[in-house]
Amino acid sequence: MEQKDQLFKQIFDTNSKKIFHLCYGYTGDEDSANDLLQETFLKVWQNLDKFRNKSLISTWIYRIAVNTCLTYLRSEKRQAKDELTDNIIENRPEEFSEKNEQVALLYKSISKLEENDRLIITMVLDELPYNEIADISGISEGNLRVKIHRIKQKLTELYNQHAGI
Amino acid sequence: MQEFDHIQSLWQSHSVEVKISSEEMLLQAKKEVSGIKTRSLLNIFGMMISFAALVALLIFFPFTSWTTQAGLSIIIIAIAVSTFILYKDYKIISRNDFTQHPKEFLSQLKIYQLNKFSIYNKLYWFYAAALCLGFILYFYEMLNNLDLWFQIGISAFTIFWMALCATFLRKAYLKREKERLDLLIEKFERISSQFKEQA
Repeated sequence: MEQKDQLFKQIFDTNSKKIFHLCYGYTGDEDSANDLLQETFLKVWQNLDKFRNKSLISTWIYRIAVNTCLTYLRSEKRQAKDELTDNIIENRPEEFSEKNEQVALLYKSISKLEENDRLIITMVLDELPYNEIADISGISEGNLRVKIHRIKQKLTELYNQHAGI
Repeated sequence: MQEFDHIQSLWQSHSVEVKISSEEMLLQAKKEVSGIKTRSLLNIFGMMISFAALVALLIFFPFTSWTTQAGLSIIIIAIAVSTFILYKDYKIISRNDFTQHPKEFLSQLKIYQLNKFSIYNKLYWFYAAALCLGFILYFYEMLNNLDLWFQIGISAFTIFWMALCATFLRKAYLKREKERLDLLIEKFERISSQFKEQA
């Protein structure tokens, strides 16, 4: 059991930040992102013995996180709301700056994308290799490249629209 | 006009902070479950205090009428049986830890919810009937020497209190408990479902 605890701690320390960022990008809300992080790693903890080393452990965890995000928002009947992303600025007035405003706009733009697209672009923004993203999302690499190109365009368009550029 | 590269650098410059450690995360999950266990234990503890107080009353007070002794005995037996049923119910959820045995815990949580519903519906009426009979017999001697208005007042208050418990309080408790358990079951089912699908 102690060995499992140590392994889990190591996995958590290595992957939690990226997974949290993915969840944050998906929900645009820190509390929901925390809930999703907890659910993802509870699944990891409970199913650690089922991991067969067929893929990277990070890919396995990303796959769990993506599934968790999709089912969580559906079951909670929540949508990423504009006001949630606005909170990024409102909750931290001391940190208000042009850059923070741009970050808030980015999250707002991501929230306007479709659920699956939101997750894919978050992984692209985190510079995950395309073959890994394909593995996680269950899309062939060829189709994924086309899809990513389209999402990038859409996101840039949305961002510029919100920024009034 | 901003390009995608700008968006990417913006994303990467926004550092997020995970405010929880792996140990805290597992503890937090356990805490949600322990809330239910604690409430169940408090319920049992309250029943045990009532049981002890009534047994002491029966032993140390020199009641002369058999009706008082029979009344108290019926109330004590009703409380003892209910406490035992509540304890059995508590044991169902205390047996497993969700973080260690999720499948077993989830199925036991569902049994616990069904049991709770049964205890506060069907079994509750047996308990209430036993208490009513017990109080009638108990009051037969106890109220005899009191003024008529006291007799009416005490009887009316007892009836009012039992009716309140049987209707409003019971329903409110059941509703709140159901909501809590539904939320927990839904969460644990969501957590377990991904790997059930893949198995």
